[in-house]
Amino acid sequence: MSEKLVTVKINDEEIKVKEGELLIKLLKKEHMEVPYFCYHDALGADGNCRMCMVEIEGKKRPQIACDTPVKEGMVVKTNSDMIKKVRKNILELELINHPIDCPVCDQAGECRLQDYYMDYGVYEGRIDKAKKVHLQKHLDIGNNVILDQERCVLCQRCVRFTDNITKTHELGVIGRGNHSRISTMPGKKLNNPYAMNIVDLCPVGALTNKDFRFKQRVWFLKSTPAICHGCAKGCNIYIDHNKEKYKDDTIYRIRARVNHDINGYFICDEGRMSYKELGINRQYNALLNSKTIDFGDVSKEFEKIIKETKGDILILADANLYLEELEAIKEFAKTLNAAVCSPLKIYIDESFGDDWLKSKNRAANAKGIQKLNIPQTYEDIEKLELVINFNHPAFKNFLTPKSISFQTHKEFEADLILPIAAFSETEGTLINEDNITQFSQRAIHSKQKIPNIIEWIEMLKDKK
Amino acid sequence: MREIKIVSKNFSVKDSHLLKTALKNGAYESIKEAFSKTPDEIIDIITQSKLRGKGGGGAYTGKKWCLMPKNPEKSFLVVNCDESEPGTFKDRYIISKDPHLLIEGIIISAYAIRAHDVYIYIRGEYYQFQKILQNAINEAYEKEIIGEKVMGHPYRIDITIHRGAGAYICGEKSALLESLEGKRGHPRLKPHSPQPEYLFGYPTVVNNVETIATVPYIIKNSAKGYLRYGTQNSPGTFLFALSGHINNPGVYECEYGVSMMEYIESFGGGIKGGKKLKAVIPGGASTPVLTADEVKKARLDYDSLKKFGSSLGTGGMIVMDEDTSMVKALKNLLDFYARESCGQCTPCREGTGWVRDIVASILNKEATMQDIKTLLDVSDTMNGKTICVFAPAVSGVINAFVNKFEDEFKSFLKSVK
Repeated sequence: MSEKLVTVKINDEEIKVKEGELLIKLLKKEHMEVPYFCYHDALGADGNCRMCMVEIEGKKRPQIACDTPVKEGMVVKTNSDMIKKVRKNILELELINHPIDCPVCDQAGECRLQDYYMDYGVYEGRIDKAKKVHLQKHLDIGNNVILDQERCVLCQRCVRFTDNITKTHELGVIGRGNHSRISTMPGKKLNNPYAMNIVDLCPVGALTNKDFRFKQRVWFLKSTPAICHGCAKGCNIYIDHNKEKYKDDTIYRIRARVNHDINGYFICDEGRMSYKELGINRQYNALLNSKTIDFGDVSKEFEKIIKETKGDILILADANLYLEELEAIKEFAKTLNAAVCSPLKIYIDESFGDDWLKSKNRAANAKGIQKLNIPQTYEDIEKLELVINFNHPAFKNFLTPKSISFQTHKEFEADLILPIAAFSETEGTLINEDNITQFSQRAIHSKQKIPNIIEWIEMLKDKK
Repeated sequence: MREIKIVSKNFSVKDSHLLKTALKNGAYESIKEAFSKTPDEIIDIITQSKLRGKGGGGAYTGKKWCLMPKNPEKSFLVVNCDESEPGTFKDRYIISKDPHLLIEGIIISAYAIRAHDVYIYIRGEYYQFQKILQNAINEAYEKEIIGEKVMGHPYRIDITIHRGAGAYICGEKSALLESLEGKRGHPRLKPHSPQPEYLFGYPTVVNNVETIATVPYIIKNSAKGYLRYGTQNSPGTFLFALSGHINNPGVYECEYGVSMMEYIESFGGGIKGGKKLKAVIPGGASTPVLTADEVKKARLDYDSLKKFGSSLGTGGMIVMDEDTSMVKALKNLLDFYARESCGQCTPCREGTGWVRDIVASILNKEATMQDIKTLLDVSDTMNGKTICVFAPAVSGVINAFVNKFEDEFKSFLKSVK
């Protein structure tokens, strides 16, 4: 693509654009209507759905915008009667062999086919003479993905994802004509750590997430932009959650959020499923010697332990905590006259890392630890008597006479155990492994009012 | 009317597929002549001869060859022998009756476009013919006609046969190349400017078997020799073929521009059982049908058939007598298209099935006038909105059948009370 700017006219509006830019990209950028199934910014044009057709002056036939590079003086119409008829007719064709089962389809509400039908659809059926082709309705094709071949519009985004992005080639089209369908090879299943992205890619309800399906209607979900805490990559995600009446605010799924500097359009399956552990085995109560105590009594007990401690105090800080929390911990350590450290080696997981989105460093804020100059080991400690842990996994290796543990999950034993909010229940800043600083918003406002670390420290620091 | 035998000159010779016989009948005589010229000179001769592709499209072969780079790192010649167009059976004659003529053409063509590796993509069903062709290739390797050297000339040529799996769409050149690359045979998006095809990322020429088999004649007899036959825009000869309700179905080579009716009468021996002619599909199933009146006026060249809104296609004429039901005939064709649509573009994938179902309902006398309107409207949606010309061809077929035989279609409609 050249740097030369050209002028094109779209629906009587003149626009300056780089020569050779794809027309569909321009239309999307300018928020002009252009329906499409098969085109995707990450996968490019395939030209099979024929929905993005536009009228170009001088061309006898309508042209697909996804395969039209912009040229000087091009005159484009996206809303002429001819184009409206083309869209209507092609949608009609898509629906011939579609089960039209929106009421029971998980995609309803975020389905391109549904949206376009409302925009351009035909409201008088004339497809009575066409016999529907019946295909397989719920094929478990592996990696938590369910395929409904009848709902498919054969845009082949999923095939192109496995061919061009993961290069694992599990999917293909089999059969011909209106018996064409997406399938894996006989006896084979999807097998790659990014497979569930095809559910996001699928514009219709053909590919659904086995974990999410039938749990929620998507229009009830609130999407909160956040950062994945699975590893140091810092992939951008949406946390989709909902608080049903009489129930607690619950996460139903995690989706990829576009960030061209980090994860592009995709996230790994492990990150996508990581929300599950935010709901199980959580620490909700404050425990003193395994007995539940009121949050109101915590500062008294905390003070008692600190006062009784004659030896040295060490604070362990998890490298997944937000920068704000880490700073608060550092300040808190000063007031307690304690050492702070955060061993980072323990986060390295060679089996997890790959050369794309999965980092072997599984600490979301390891760079933050370094930025705040929090040491990885402790020095100048002669007689370690008390360890105060802020959710650091290395805590289990410390055998000290006394211990206090702030933890999200029922993971460690300590004299005093205090629950803290997980990453989705609080907000803050992270620095990823490429030194990109990002803010993660709070998604969940739980009925269980669990304080976050900063709130705990506020409560405790005057009582030392 | 006389046959002009350029490609079919050895078809009636016994054992013509064997190298021994072929050499006696002048096979490989043009090789020496060809190698005395530069590749560009050969491309010039082919361009001057106005040789048109004989697979159905009728593109000028010289133009195609000119697009090839002069110093390619690697390039390919692919011979399209996927002959799956209903009513077309000429290429199989060449590979089974005179395979050495094809090999001779391949050598010259590959030399002209500077390719060393040649693929012959042959339809899977042609197993027997493929065996004959493979034997001929083996013989040519043995006698060092191809291989490291071409009959002593320091130019390597390797020919590989690739059998398709029987998909009609793999006769479309870009789908053929996809299939050859080991992928699913889906046509590719067309380039925005003239450029060669690409196989494995290298520039490639795809030509029909008969086109390649015509090359040796042009080299031996010069462009002028070829231009002696045919008309100005359709020079030379073509392996026209006749099938259907005809006394002598078969392949008869003839120059372009002759009267269609005369061809049918003199080579086909007239309509079977002395019946009257009703219609002819002129060039393989995908060309719009002609009525008997049109057939009487039509000539067998590109311009004449274009005037009737049809095309010369592969030259395989399907002749239908007066007792043919046009609704049944259309249903039969649409069954084929619904089965063979590759399923890539929406209008074709869903449209072919739908129009088939509508025509089936007309045939079952369940349809109304509204259904014929719907049929023509769907046909319009299929025209010009897809990657390849499969759906537009189907659209043309439907429109011709319904418009030219409207009364017959109407007679099948459900009687409205």
